[in-house]
Amino acid sequence: MNALAAEWLKLRTVRSSYGLIITVGLMVVAGVLLSWLIVQDYDTSSAAEQATFASADSSVVITPVVQFLVAALGALVATSDPRLTALTAVPDRKRLLAAKSVLVATTAVVVGALALVLSIGSSWLIMGDRPPPIAPWDGIGDVLPWAGAAVLSILVTGLTGLGIGLAVRSTAVTIVVVGVLLWGLPAITPMLPAPWNMDASAVMVPYLVWEVAGVVDDAPLGPLAAVAVLAIYVLVTLGAGTVTLLRQDA
Amino acid sequence: MIEVRNLTKRYGDTKAVEDLSFTVHPGLVTGFLGPNGAGKSTTMRMILGLDRPSGGEALIAGRRYQDLDQPLRHVGALLDPAAVHHGRKALDHLRWIAASNGIGEKRAVALLEQVGLGGVRHKRIRALSLGMKQRLGVAAALLGDPGVLMFDEPVNGLDPEGVRWIRDLMRGLAKEGRTVFVSSHLMSEMALTADHVVIVARGQLVKETPMEALTRNGSLEDAYLELTSGRGLS
Repeated sequence: MNALAAEWLKLRTVRSSYGLIITVGLMVVAGVLLSWLIVQDYDTSSAAEQATFASADSSVVITPVVQFLVAALGALVATSDPRLTALTAVPDRKRLLAAKSVLVATTAVVVGALALVLSIGSSWLIMGDRPPPIAPWDGIGDVLPWAGAAVLSILVTGLTGLGIGLAVRSTAVTIVVVGVLLWGLPAITPMLPAPWNMDASAVMVPYLVWEVAGVVDDAPLGPLAAVAVLAIYVLVTLGAGTVTLLRQDA
Repeated sequence: MIEVRNLTKRYGDTKAVEDLSFTVHPGLVTGFLGPNGAGKSTTMRMILGLDRPSGGEALIAGRRYQDLDQPLRHVGALLDPAAVHHGRKALDHLRWIAASNGIGEKRAVALLEQVGLGGVRHKRIRALSLGMKQRLGVAAALLGDPGVLMFDEPVNGLDPEGVRWIRDLMRGLAKEGRTVFVSSHLMSEMALTADHVVIVARGQLVKETPMEALTRNGSLEDAYLELTSGRGLS
């Protein structure tokens, strides 16, 4: 518990942590504004145009950004304090790793859940009783799978950022690798020749969220398989970080 | 007490430390001397479990550092005063280190006062001078009121007042019965501070002796240069 208390104190006493959390808050606010603008446009459009509108749910837009920001937080937890000082204070490397993992996982779930609740709740209020497609849900039962999948993906990206950070020991390199995983590769995979485009896209984080939620017809992966792929992201990256931390000199 | 037994560290074909054995006793300031690249810092890092030995072992009170419960209550170390998050405030730096070993915040506040940093406790570390960072590192080393203290080049970059402060501190800690192990390049400073010396060159032990025996027929610098002549980095 001492190691976890120290990690929590470290997180709370640097400006970059607050910068990331404030950015998440600003993204939620931007999402609210986006929902409101879409609904204003919808209300002044013809019935034919209204039928072509996309959902005004802002959580769909902010989830990838929150994934990235929480991954950056994981990277900072892994890399911002010199290893010499961290390991002098907590020389039991497994204990240090466990403390960092618990901290990142807890923060990711709390930040992710808050961001999702606020963006979904505000979108719901703004959309009111308007019909689909601008309102994508009929009731809370439609919302929960998506919200749960989104929070799970944010947890996964936080731990992925931590794992890559521990493995490469550089904040900048970690953030670049996370950017490639979350945005770079998913932009490339649809351009691959069939059937590789479908196969590769199906295991990219942005698509896995939808597959975990089970809200896409004919998705390549079912919810359980998608959860398993997300778990592989954590196992591979956090595994690499664990090996580096346990075996490498400080 | 620190016991180093047959400690070896290899990087590929290069031997940084080779079959090094010595003992650092309580109640004394033991100087750790050697040319650049002699393996002093590597040895200290292995004692603290930061680097994995290729062979041998280093024990503190009979146990490896990484096996100590709440290690800062046994050992305090200042290896690199720059190894901090420079965006964190001085007090917060001590608070997290204290928390990691179950040490209360009051101790951190008291130590900042003791090392003369009470007035800058809420300043970010990047705003502190080199001397202030050294003092902050010393405060971190003293957090757990440990019986063993290790300092790597503690007077580097310090002004004369800071040098005297570190010297008096180390002498005082040894007088209280603690084990004080300090590496330095500065022979004149070591001559004033250390009771016992361990001299290494090219990762090997050259001499382990009381200071008095080494300086009986001349200065520490003369004795050191004679012992290490031709054993520096080639």
